[in-house]
Amino acid sequence: MKKLFPILALAAALPAGAALADDDDCRVPAENWQPREAVMQMATTQGWTVSDLEVDDGCYEIEGRDKDGRRFEAKLDPATLAIVEMERGDDDDNGRAADPAPAGTVAPPPNGLFGSDAPPVVVTK
Amino acid sequence: MKSLLATLALTTALTLPGLAMARPVTLTTTLNDYGGDGAYLVLYVTDASGAYVGSLWMAGGKSKYYEHLSDWYAATGGDPAQINGITGASVGAGRKLEITLDLADALFDAGYTLHIDAAVEDMRDSPNEIAVPLTTAGAGTPVPGRRYIASFTYQ
Repeated sequence: MKKLFPILALAAALPAGAALADDDDCRVPAENWQPREAVMQMATTQGWTVSDLEVDDGCYEIEGRDKDGRRFEAKLDPATLAIVEMERGDDDDNGRAADPAPAGTVAPPPNGLFGSDAPPVVVTK
Repeated sequence: MKSLLATLALTTALTLPGLAMARPVTLTTTLNDYGGDGAYLVLYVTDASGAYVGSLWMAGGKSKYYEHLSDWYAATGGDPAQINGITGASVGAGRKLEITLDLADALFDAGYTLHIDAAVEDMRDSPNEIAVPLTTAGAGTPVPGRRYIASFTYQ
Protein backbone atom coordinates (compact mmCIF):
# COMPACT_ATOMS: atom_id res chain seq x y z
CA MET A 1 0.00 0.00 0.00
CA LYS A 2 2.88 2.34 0.77
CA LYS A 3 4.07 1.93 -2.80
CA LEU A 4 0.69 2.88 -4.21
CA PHE A 5 0.84 6.50 -3.06
CA PRO A 6 4.11 7.40 -4.78
CA ILE A 7 2.78 5.82 -7.97
CA LEU A 8 -0.45 7.81 -7.75
CA ALA A 9 1.51 10.98 -7.01
CA LEU A 10 3.74 10.32 -10.01
CA ALA A 11 0.73 9.75 -12.28
CA ALA A 12 -0.87 12.99 -11.08
CA ALA A 13 2.37 14.87 -11.67
CA LEU A 14 2.71 13.75 -15.30
CA PRO A 15 2.50 16.78 -17.58
CA ALA A 16 -0.61 17.32 -19.63
CA GLY A 17 1.63 17.17 -22.68
CA ALA A 18 1.80 13.42 -22.26
CA ALA A 19 -1.40 13.27 -24.29
CA LEU A 20 -2.02 14.92 -27.64
CA ALA A 21 -4.03 17.93 -26.55
CA ASP A 22 -3.76 21.59 -27.34
CA ASP A 23 -4.34 24.62 -25.18
CA ASP A 24 -6.27 26.29 -27.98
CA ASP A 25 -9.15 23.81 -28.03
CA CYS A 26 -12.69 25.11 -27.58
CA ARG A 27 -15.13 23.37 -25.26
CA VAL A 28 -18.54 24.87 -25.93
CA PRO A 29 -21.86 22.97 -25.62
CA ALA A 30 -23.61 22.49 -28.97
CA GLU A 31 -26.60 24.59 -27.97
CA ASN A 32 -24.35 27.63 -27.48
CA TRP A 33 -22.81 27.55 -30.95
CA GLN A 34 -23.44 30.44 -33.28
CA PRO A 35 -24.37 29.46 -36.87
CA ARG A 36 -21.85 29.46 -39.71
CA GLU A 37 -23.62 32.48 -41.18
CA ALA A 38 -22.65 34.46 -38.06
CA VAL A 39 -19.03 33.43 -38.58
CA MET A 40 -19.11 34.58 -42.19
CA GLN A 41 -20.68 37.87 -41.15
CA MET A 42 -17.97 38.39 -38.53
CA ALA A 43 -15.31 37.62 -41.17
CA THR A 44 -16.84 40.17 -43.53
CA THR A 45 -16.79 42.77 -40.76
CA GLN A 46 -13.08 42.07 -40.26
CA GLY A 47 -12.40 42.46 -43.98
CA TRP A 48 -11.40 38.81 -44.34
CA THR A 49 -11.71 36.75 -47.50
CA VAL A 50 -12.61 33.23 -46.38
CA SER A 51 -11.37 30.28 -48.43
CA ASP A 52 -12.33 27.57 -45.94
CA LEU A 53 -14.51 27.32 -42.86
CA GLU A 54 -14.50 24.15 -40.82
CA VAL A 55 -14.67 22.86 -37.27
CA ASP A 56 -11.40 21.78 -35.64
CA ASP A 57 -10.62 21.00 -31.98
CA GLY A 58 -14.13 22.15 -31.08
CA CYS A 59 -13.56 25.62 -32.57
CA TYR A 60 -14.55 27.25 -35.83
CA GLU A 61 -11.46 27.42 -38.01
CA ILE A 62 -11.16 29.90 -40.86
CA GLU A 63 -8.52 29.91 -43.58
CA GLY A 64 -8.27 32.90 -45.84
CA ARG A 65 -6.70 36.30 -46.33
CA ASP A 66 -6.96 39.36 -44.12
CA LYS A 67 -7.84 42.85 -45.32
CA ASP A 68 -4.18 43.36 -46.32
CA GLY A 69 -4.16 40.19 -48.45
CA ARG A 70 -2.02 38.17 -46.03
CA ARG A 71 -2.81 34.48 -45.61
CA PHE A 72 -4.00 33.44 -42.19
CA GLU A 73 -5.69 30.69 -40.25
CA ALA A 74 -7.85 31.64 -37.28
CA LYS A 75 -9.63 29.64 -34.63
CA LEU A 76 -12.78 31.19 -33.23
CA ASP A 77 -14.70 30.43 -30.06
CA PRO A 78 -17.98 29.02 -31.43
CA ALA A 79 -20.10 30.87 -28.84
CA THR A 80 -18.49 34.32 -28.74
CA LEU A 81 -16.63 34.24 -32.11
CA ALA A 82 -13.62 35.61 -30.24
CA ILE A 83 -10.27 34.76 -31.86
CA VAL A 84 -8.68 31.88 -29.92
CA GLU A 85 -5.64 31.52 -32.17
CA MET A 86 -4.34 33.35 -35.21
CA GLU A 87 -1.62 32.00 -37.49
CA ARG A 88 -0.24 34.10 -40.32
CA GLY A 89 1.87 33.20 -43.34
CA ASP A 90 4.20 30.23 -43.05
CA ASP A 91 4.81 30.34 -39.32
CA ASP A 92 2.30 30.68 -36.55
CA ASP A 93 2.62 33.07 -33.63
CA ASN A 94 4.37 30.45 -31.50
CA GLY A 95 7.16 30.06 -34.04
CA ARG A 96 6.10 26.55 -34.98
CA ALA A 97 7.07 25.24 -38.38
CA ALA A 98 4.73 25.44 -41.34
CA ASP A 99 2.54 22.48 -42.19
CA PRO A 100 4.31 20.18 -44.68
CA ALA A 101 3.42 20.00 -48.35
CA PRO A 102 0.92 17.17 -48.96
CA ALA A 103 1.95 14.13 -51.00
CA GLY A 104 1.65 14.68 -54.73
CA THR A 105 2.31 18.43 -54.58
CA VAL A 106 6.11 18.12 -54.42
CA ALA A 107 8.60 15.26 -54.81
CA PRO A 108 9.54 13.19 -51.74
CA PRO A 109 12.52 14.59 -49.82
CA PRO A 110 16.01 13.66 -51.12
CA ASN A 111 16.86 11.57 -48.05
CA GLY A 112 18.29 8.58 -49.90
CA LEU A 113 15.41 6.30 -48.89
CA PHE A 114 13.32 6.67 -52.03
CA GLY A 115 14.29 5.01 -55.30
CA SER A 116 12.43 7.60 -57.38
CA ASP A 117 10.69 10.96 -57.23
CA ALA A 118 7.31 9.26 -57.48
CA PRO A 119 5.15 9.95 -54.42
CA PRO A 120 4.17 6.93 -52.33
CA VAL A 121 0.83 5.40 -53.24
CA VAL A 122 -1.30 5.39 -50.12
CA VAL A 123 -4.59 3.61 -49.49
CA THR A 124 -6.57 3.61 -46.25
CA LYS A 125 -9.04 0.77 -45.81
CA MET B 1 27.10 9.62 -84.69
CA LYS B 2 29.85 8.08 -82.63
CA SER B 3 29.34 10.64 -79.94
CA LEU B 4 25.60 9.92 -79.95
CA LEU B 5 26.23 6.21 -79.44
CA ALA B 6 28.72 6.96 -76.71
CA THR B 7 26.21 9.24 -75.01
CA LEU B 8 23.51 6.60 -75.27
CA ALA B 9 25.81 3.96 -73.86
CA LEU B 10 26.82 6.20 -71.00
CA THR B 11 23.28 7.26 -70.09
CA THR B 12 22.08 3.65 -70.29
CA ALA B 13 24.91 2.52 -68.06
CA LEU B 14 24.08 5.23 -65.57
CA THR B 15 20.34 4.55 -65.66
CA LEU B 16 20.21 0.78 -65.33
CA PRO B 17 21.98 0.47 -61.98
CA GLY B 18 19.65 3.19 -60.71
CA LEU B 19 16.65 1.12 -61.66
CA ALA B 20 18.10 -1.93 -59.95
CA MET B 21 18.81 -0.05 -56.72
CA ALA B 22 15.22 0.26 -55.52
CA ARG B 23 12.34 -2.12 -55.01
CA PRO B 24 8.62 -1.53 -54.60
CA VAL B 25 7.68 -2.17 -50.99
CA THR B 26 4.25 -2.05 -49.36
CA LEU B 27 4.14 -0.93 -45.72
CA THR B 28 0.90 -2.02 -44.06
CA THR B 29 -0.09 -0.59 -40.68
CA THR B 30 -3.30 -1.86 -39.06
CA LEU B 31 -4.69 0.10 -36.12
CA ASN B 32 -6.56 -1.20 -33.11
CA ASP B 33 -10.08 -0.08 -32.24
CA TYR B 34 -8.66 2.18 -29.52
CA GLY B 35 -11.79 4.33 -29.37
CA GLY B 36 -10.34 7.75 -30.14
CA ASP B 37 -9.78 10.27 -32.93
CA GLY B 38 -7.62 9.61 -35.97
CA ALA B 39 -4.03 8.67 -35.17
CA TYR B 40 -1.00 10.65 -36.27
CA LEU B 41 1.66 8.18 -37.44
CA VAL B 42 5.16 8.81 -38.74
CA LEU B 43 7.27 6.13 -40.40
CA TYR B 44 11.01 6.81 -40.39
CA VAL B 45 14.35 5.04 -40.66
CA THR B 46 17.43 4.98 -38.45
CA ASP B 47 20.83 3.53 -39.32
CA ALA B 48 22.87 0.89 -37.50
CA SER B 49 24.07 3.45 -34.95
CA GLY B 50 20.49 4.56 -34.23
CA ALA B 51 20.90 7.88 -36.02
CA TYR B 52 17.89 9.28 -37.90
CA VAL B 53 18.23 8.85 -41.66
CA GLY B 54 14.92 10.09 -43.05
CA SER B 55 11.16 9.76 -43.10
CA LEU B 56 8.96 7.60 -45.32
CA TRP B 57 5.45 8.85 -44.50
CA MET B 58 3.63 11.22 -42.17
CA ALA B 59 -0.06 10.49 -41.53
CA GLY B 60 -1.42 13.79 -40.22
CA GLY B 61 -1.01 17.23 -41.77
CA LYS B 62 -0.87 19.69 -38.87
CA SER B 63 2.63 20.52 -37.67
CA LYS B 64 1.43 21.71 -34.28
CA TYR B 65 0.76 18.10 -33.29
CA TYR B 66 4.12 16.71 -34.38
CA GLU B 67 5.76 17.24 -30.99
CA HIS B 68 3.59 14.35 -29.79
CA LEU B 69 5.45 12.06 -32.19
CA SER B 70 8.21 12.58 -29.72
CA ASP B 71 11.10 10.41 -30.93
CA TRP B 72 10.70 11.64 -34.49
CA TYR B 73 10.34 15.22 -33.25
CA ALA B 74 13.48 14.91 -31.14
CA ALA B 75 15.42 13.74 -34.19
CA THR B 76 14.08 16.31 -36.64
CA GLY B 77 12.88 19.29 -34.61
CA GLY B 78 9.64 18.89 -36.55
CA ASP B 79 11.30 20.17 -39.74
CA PRO B 80 8.59 20.11 -42.47
CA ALA B 81 11.30 19.61 -45.12
CA GLN B 82 11.64 16.06 -43.78
CA ILE B 83 8.08 15.22 -44.80
CA ASN B 84 7.22 17.54 -47.69
CA GLY B 85 5.59 15.43 -50.39
CA ILE B 86 5.12 12.42 -48.12
CA THR B 87 2.33 13.67 -45.86
CA GLY B 88 -1.30 12.58 -45.88
CA ALA B 89 -4.32 12.25 -43.64
CA SER B 90 -4.35 10.81 -40.14
CA VAL B 91 -5.65 7.24 -39.81
CA GLY B 92 -8.88 6.30 -38.03
CA ALA B 93 -9.15 3.67 -35.31
CA GLY B 94 -9.50 0.19 -36.74
CA ARG B 95 -8.35 1.29 -40.22
CA LYS B 96 -5.52 -0.09 -42.31
CA LEU B 97 -2.92 2.20 -43.93
CA GLU B 98 -1.15 0.78 -46.99
CA ILE B 99 1.83 2.72 -48.35
CA THR B 100 3.52 1.51 -51.54
CA LEU B 101 6.82 3.16 -52.46
CA ASP B 102 10.16 2.53 -54.13
CA LEU B 103 12.55 1.80 -51.30
CA ALA B 104 16.31 1.88 -51.83
CA ASP B 105 17.81 -1.63 -51.91
CA ALA B 106 20.72 -0.46 -49.78
CA LEU B 107 18.41 -0.22 -46.78
CA PHE B 108 17.90 -3.97 -46.53
CA ASP B 109 20.16 -6.25 -44.48
CA ALA B 110 22.41 -3.31 -43.60
CA GLY B 111 21.41 -2.51 -40.01
CA TYR B 112 18.63 -0.03 -40.82
CA THR B 113 15.50 0.01 -38.65
CA LEU B 114 12.03 1.25 -39.56
CA HIS B 115 10.21 3.02 -36.71
CA ILE B 116 6.65 4.24 -36.21
CA ASP B 117 5.72 6.90 -33.64
CA ALA B 118 1.98 7.25 -32.94
CA ALA B 119 -0.18 9.85 -31.18
CA VAL B 120 -3.91 10.36 -30.71
CA GLU B 121 -5.66 13.50 -29.48
CA ASP B 122 -6.34 13.41 -25.72
CA MET B 123 -4.71 9.99 -25.43
CA ARG B 124 -1.22 8.94 -24.43
CA ASP B 125 1.65 9.45 -26.89
CA SER B 126 3.29 6.31 -28.20
CA PRO B 127 6.77 6.97 -29.63
CA ASN B 128 8.67 4.10 -31.20
CA GLU B 129 5.56 1.93 -31.15
CA ILE B 130 7.09 -0.14 -33.94
CA ALA B 131 10.83 -0.72 -34.42
CA VAL B 132 11.55 -3.38 -37.00
CA PRO B 133 14.90 -4.17 -38.67
CA LEU B 134 14.73 -3.93 -42.46
CA THR B 135 15.82 -7.36 -43.63
CA THR B 136 14.99 -9.46 -46.63
CA ALA B 137 14.06 -12.35 -44.32
CA GLY B 138 11.73 -10.18 -42.22
CA ALA B 139 9.57 -9.13 -45.17
CA GLY B 140 6.00 -10.36 -44.83
CA THR B 141 6.24 -11.09 -41.10
CA PRO B 142 3.70 -9.07 -39.07
CA VAL B 143 5.12 -7.16 -36.10
CA PRO B 144 2.73 -6.31 -33.21
CA GLY B 145 2.45 -2.77 -31.87
CA ARG B 146 1.97 -1.72 -28.23
CA ARG B 147 -0.87 0.78 -27.99
CA TYR B 148 -2.60 1.96 -31.17
CA ILE B 149 -1.06 -0.32 -33.80
CA ALA B 150 -2.36 -3.90 -34.03
CA SER B 151 0.31 -4.96 -36.53
CA PHE B 152 2.82 -3.73 -39.08
CA THR B 153 4.14 -5.59 -42.13
CA TYR B 154 6.50 -4.70 -44.98
CA GLN B 155 6.75 -6.76 -48.12
